[in-house]
Amino acid sequence: MAEKLFMVTFVMLVLAVLINLARLWLPVSWLDKAAPLPMYLTAACLLVILAWRTADLGRLPLANMYEFSVFMVFVILLGYFFIRRSLTAVEFDLAVSLLLTLLFAMLASLPSDLRPLMPALQSRWLTAHVATAIMAYSAFAIAFCLGIIYLSRTNQEDPSLKVIDRQVYRLVVWGFVLLTLAIITGAVWAEEVWGNWWSWDPKETWSLVTWVVYAAYLHARRTKEWRGRRSAWLVVIGFLVVLFTLYGVSILLPGLHSYA
Amino acid sequence: MPDKQNKGNRNLLSWLTSMRFAIYLLILVGAVSALGTIIPQGQSPAFYLYTYGNGTGAVINLLSLGNLYQAWWFSLLMLILGLTILICSFQRLRHARSLATVGSLVFHLSIVVILSGAAWSLGYARSAMVEVAEQQTVALADYGFGSGQLTLHSFVIDYYPDLQPRQYISDISLTGYEQGDHHLKINVNNPLRAGNLKIYQSNWGWMLKIKLTTNGCSTQVVDVKDYDVFPLGSGEDNAIRVVFLPDYAEDQHGAFSRTSQPNAPCLGLSLLQSGRAVDMALMAPGEEAQMGQYSFTFEDFSYYSGLQLKYDPGVTLVFAGFILLLLGLLGRYWRLLFSREGD
Repeated sequence: MAEKLFMVTFVMLVLAVLINLARLWLPVSWLDKAAPLPMYLTAACLLVILAWRTADLGRLPLANMYEFSVFMVFVILLGYFFIRRSLTAVEFDLAVSLLLTLLFAMLASLPSDLRPLMPALQSRWLTAHVATAIMAYSAFAIAFCLGIIYLSRTNQEDPSLKVIDRQVYRLVVWGFVLLTLAIITGAVWAEEVWGNWWSWDPKETWSLVTWVVYAAYLHARRTKEWRGRRSAWLVVIGFLVVLFTLYGVSILLPGLHSYA
Repeated sequence: MPDKQNKGNRNLLSWLTSMRFAIYLLILVGAVSALGTIIPQGQSPAFYLYTYGNGTGAVINLLSLGNLYQAWWFSLLMLILGLTILICSFQRLRHARSLATVGSLVFHLSIVVILSGAAWSLGYARSAMVEVAEQQTVALADYGFGSGQLTLHSFVIDYYPDLQPRQYISDISLTGYEQGDHHLKINVNNPLRAGNLKIYQSNWGWMLKIKLTTNGCSTQVVDVKDYDVFPLGSGEDNAIRVVFLPDYAEDQHGAFSRTSQPNAPCLGLSLLQSGRAVDMALMAPGEEAQMGQYSFTFEDFSYYSGLQLKYDPGVTLVFAGFILLLLGLLGRYWRLLFSREGD
């Protein structure tokens, strides 16, 4: 049953991408109206999948890469619905649906079996640490989609650029605060479980690199020469670093987070 | 000319204490840290020469890139970063009037607080790994931790139904330590805290009790850890290596342990001469084996618990820094985060 629901979710996401692609060439109103529908259905399916897993495990599904990714797709969707209230653009719908489809497709390569928590993960810090990381990365993911749109619009007089830039800024600030929380809860937890609040573990180090990139964005945006396209590039680079921290490190650089 | 030089010095100084310099420095710290995840850390100099070739390997060794986070220049980089942030913050002190500017100031200063805590830990933190058998007491002084005695009353492994370990639990007591007496069941994620000293559940293993008789007369009972080599102390270079199979089974490849639970305990004992195995025996508890001039009896087995002792006075400062960091960040972006119009 869960597998069927997964298939339905994937089909919905692909459908969303196709509808949004069609909207670029066929500006008809019924397509615009239909566009959010598969995204809403995706959110509903994910909610059922997550609730199911929570009931099976007896805890929130936040303990490995698979659970992290499913949750992240769901949170990105929620963020997208929120941003969409004040920003309607076909490219935004397309960028988000495309990113979610890719993230979701990647889930197939991750082990999804239900595993009990190993001793190191049995902590009151697990939920806080992982949930803040998911929310931070989701904010950066949406900022990345908006950053791409910013860069794709070549007319610098376009009034929508200002709105997009503002949204990106807000998202990065939210992401930055949440990432700071994720790093701090991780440090406090590490101190409690291993006696070291910082061990330069690859995942830890790359989360710091991510933090530095977004700190650079927040400062760069305040200077004249870095405002606009250059800072939009930083947001795009920032999310590539996020993806490396999340997936690249786990695959290429094993360390303390190797169970994730 | 001197005026020009003064101006030049002033320019350099103002650049070194500017936000831009601090940002470049922060990016440099990020880039260098990332480098440390790509170059394997903590290997021998020969490893880098072999893996990266003589040229690159020599550069890695010269710059301590194989021990990057402990290198003196990395600490120096952190020190300069801390000082630059401190100076930048002081320059902005008089502009700190609104919640956002005060928040920004607190945020930046908290980074200095965290770096100071880390430096304090670097100078004064001590840690030691102590392997204690059940019912054994060790003196903290033997590990450089002042007065006090640590006793392991019992060690338990709690399993899930599929035999995956659920939790490792050590029932320990700490007596005569400066902060008074403590008795606690610690487990992974739940250390014993006595002031700045913390005791963590770190690992575990089997302790094997073996009766050793040499030439049929001198007898001693020794405790040997699983996989350890125990020198027999006679003039020749003789030693034993023990391997414990708690749930003994055999197949075409040889002996192995089905699970980590002691359902069918068996001791594999090898006699080594100059490091080479010359004889071996498998023994159930109570059994005896004769090898040359030695006779071995497998008396008993029990758990030992690997406890990590850690004394770290800097952690409190670091955690205080964390709280300030969050408060500062919230102050700086409060309006943007929580009001509709943003800042």
